[in-house]
Amino acid sequence: MFEIDYGADGVVVCTGRLDAAQCAKAEAFMDGIKEDGVLDFGKLEYISSAGLGILLKTQKRLATSGAALKIINVNNHIHDVFRYSGFHAIFEIEARQE
Amino acid sequence: MKKSFNRSIESLSDVYEFTEGVLAANDIGDAVKFPVHLAMEELFVNMVEYHPESSEDIVLEVEAEDGKVSVTMRDFDVEPFDVTAPSTPDTDAALEERTPGGLGLYLIQTMVDNLEYNYEDRRSTVRFTKE
Repeated sequence: MFEIDYGADGVVVCTGRLDAAQCAKAEAFMDGIKEDGVLDFGKLEYISSAGLGILLKTQKRLATSGAALKIINVNNHIHDVFRYSGFHAIFEIEARQE
Repeated sequence: MKKSFNRSIESLSDVYEFTEGVLAANDIGDAVKFPVHLAMEELFVNMVEYHPESSEDIVLEVEAEDGKVSVTMRDFDVEPFDVTAPSTPDTDAALEERTPGGLGLYLIQTMVDNLEYNYEDRRSTVRFTKE
């Protein structure tokens, strides 16, 4: 199960497991982000390389207009994946307070 | 536990449910579960995407004992694809130089304990452990 939608404060809330089978849903939503955005991963349990690809593609597109994604409330497992992938250098990332 | 899965990305939720069932029944913690699920997804997706020549099911076997998980994945009637060949994406590259893709094998090789590949009679067998 994976859900992505705007929360009450304009933050993009991601919920569940972002695997390769859910990437079309994530990509369709992310393609609609046109300016600075905050992704709340507080309810996201899991991400694989397919999801990383969507994040990277979106960040590259936004960078052409000087905008960027920030990712907050990242659990420690996803945080490890970001660290191995070098995502800390290209995204502003805040870990979840466990 | 052994089970066959249809060669499709849509099988991923069934792969997850099958694996989670074995891991939960053996009280495997999240620190091991996460990399096991990730490695299995990356390997399964590779088999689906890079071996369209096969119509055979992909056979998964997951065992757990004393906190250690062992996974075997078999792909039949396929060309060789050595998942142990070192994957070295430039994870220090600047945003403009990065391109989506190329992280799957790297993450597997970084996050599991032992990764083995065998190819025989047009059959690929991948094994890994995590504890």
